[in-house]
Order: sequence, then C-alpha cells, then structure tokens
Amino acid sequence: MPFAARFRQGMKAAIPIWIAFVPSSIAWGIAAQDHGLSLDEVVLMSAWVYSGPAQFAVLGPLAEGKSALQVLIAGFLMNLRFLPMSTALAPFFRGVKHRRLLLASHVISASSFIVPYMQFQKERKALAESSPSAHTEDGDSNLAFFLGVGFTSFLVWVSGTAGGFIAAFGFPPGFEEALKFILPGYFAGLLVVEMKDWAMPLICLGSLIAALPGALVSPGWGWLVTAILIASLGWGLEEWKLHASR
Amino acid sequence: MAFAMRAVPQVFFVGQKFPEAWDRWLRYLSYGFICSIISVTLFMSGGHIETAAAPRRAIALAFAVVIAYKTKSAVTGMIAGTLLVLILSRTF
Repeated sequence: MPFAARFRQGMKAAIPIWIAFVPSSIAWGIAAQDHGLSLDEVVLMSAWVYSGPAQFAVLGPLAEGKSALQVLIAGFLMNLRFLPMSTALAPFFRGVKHRRLLLASHVISASSFIVPYMQFQKERKALAESSPSAHTEDGDSNLAFFLGVGFTSFLVWVSGTAGGFIAAFGFPPGFEEALKFILPGYFAGLLVVEMKDWAMPLICLGSLIAALPGALVSPGWGWLVTAILIASLGWGLEEWKLHASR
Repeated sequence: MAFAMRAVPQVFFVGQKFPEAWDRWLRYLSYGFICSIISVTLFMSGGHIETAAAPRRAIALAFAVVIAYKTKSAVTGMIAGTLLVLILSRTF
C-alpha cells in the first residue's frame, strides 16, 4: 500500500484518540495556566515532552519552584514506560532508515502505541495464516500507519493545550468529570476489545488495583513499579504453565 | 529524556524479531503501564485518592468496559462511560 494511503488508514484509526485528546489537552492547558506557566512554555512543553501524565506530574514541582533535577527525575520516571512500548513497536519497522525512525519515535505515546501495535499484531497474524512461509513485514508501510496515528494525535494534543490555555473556557459544572474520564475510558475500551486468554485480563486488573497503593507510596514511580511487578508475575505464571503443559 | 526513552529502542531493536516469550513480556508490561495510567488518572489527584469521586468513576469504568466488550468498540464504551459518569456526578 502506498505511503499516503497507509497514512490515511492510520489517521482513520486515530479519530477516537483525537476525540479523547481534545478535552484532555484542553484540561492540561487550563491546569498549566493555573500553575502559572506562560503560553509559549505550555506549547513548548506539550510539543517537546508530549506525554500527558508526565506533563501533569511535573506541573506541581514546577509551580512549587522545586529544583530542575527534581523536575527531571519526575519526568524521567513517568517516561520510563515509553521504553517497553517503543521496544515492542521496533520489530515492525524493519528496513526503515534510522533518521526517519528517530524523528517518528517522538510521537510514541500510550495511545499511539496501543492502536498501531494491535493493528500490526492483527496484520502479522493474518499474514502468517495466509502464507505461513512469509516473514517479511513492510516497515515503511507500518511507519506510515504509525505516523497517521501518532503525528496527527500529536498535532491535536499540542493545539489542544494551546486552545485550553487561551480559552480557559468556563466549562459547565460537572464537565470536568467527563474530561477526566474520556482518555482512561478509551484506553480501557481498547484493551478489553483485544483481551484474550487469562493472563491479559489478570495483568490489567492487577495493575489497575495495585497502581493505587503504589502511587500512594510514591506518586512519581510507585505505580510504575507495581505495573512492572504485576506484568512480570503474570508473564512468569504463564511461562510456568506453558512449560508444565509441554 | 522523553525522547531518549522513545528513540533508543528504535536504534537498537528496529526490525528485530524477539523471542516469543520476550515479545509477550513486553506486551504485558505495556498493558500493565496503560492500566496503571488509567487507575492513577481516574482515581488520584495530587498524591491522594479522590474518595468522593472514585466510586462513580469505578462504576463508569466498569460500564465502559462491559459496553466495549459487548459491542467490540472502544469508542462506544468510552462514550457510554463518559455519559454515565456525567449523570452520576450530577445525581450524587
């Protein structure tokens, strides 16, 4: 499939992300304004960091005038999650030039990971079923799909934060509940649609529950640690079951 | 920092086929992170659990999950959950 057509396919798949990003990015713009950031700082941070949870996490330390090192550490811990996401996507970009990949990797986020990753998995499975001997995946075509999702979502996020800052709309009372729910609600939906076997629901439920005590112990990295522990435990159990059944 | 986390794996692992077990571990790790983000975003604010709002958000999340599962559509689940959380926030 040509690059443009595949990019458009990614754009179509990203529409729910845009819908979810609009209120979340506006909410971040408003929160950033509330914490005393200027418009150029808000836009630059959204474009450079491009990570909702990390941006929210550093707002507090920034507003409280904490040291640059503390802000960096808060952001670093939040952004650790991109490491396995980017690693999981990398095998699908076979043959793509490093420079293009480095530029494209900037738009990896939880949403722009999960949509292409599930699409690539589905396509890989379909390819394996149609021709079991075929191992080649078109890296450039996958990159086009990924950019269709990631780049357009990035634009929506950055322009949404600027919009939120400028307008600082007077949302009707109770509307903040919807703002807070849309993105997590969409992520949960994406995951549940793809759920199979027993391990994935168990890991998702375990991570969902364990994140709260983890975040209470340490708001910056507690929930990351619990996610790593639960995912590794679930994976270990599955491996053990697989070995036992052989 | 954020860019390094995203870019480093693309430099070292591009096009590589991981062993099936490692591939699954990465997948579970990513799902675990996403579920933790869902939990922290929905139920926490400023290092505290939002005890007043948490029950209605939990109900709306469960509702969104059921609808998404039944309809096989994440967007439908998201819309249903959002509407429910709005209704619950005005009712209670």
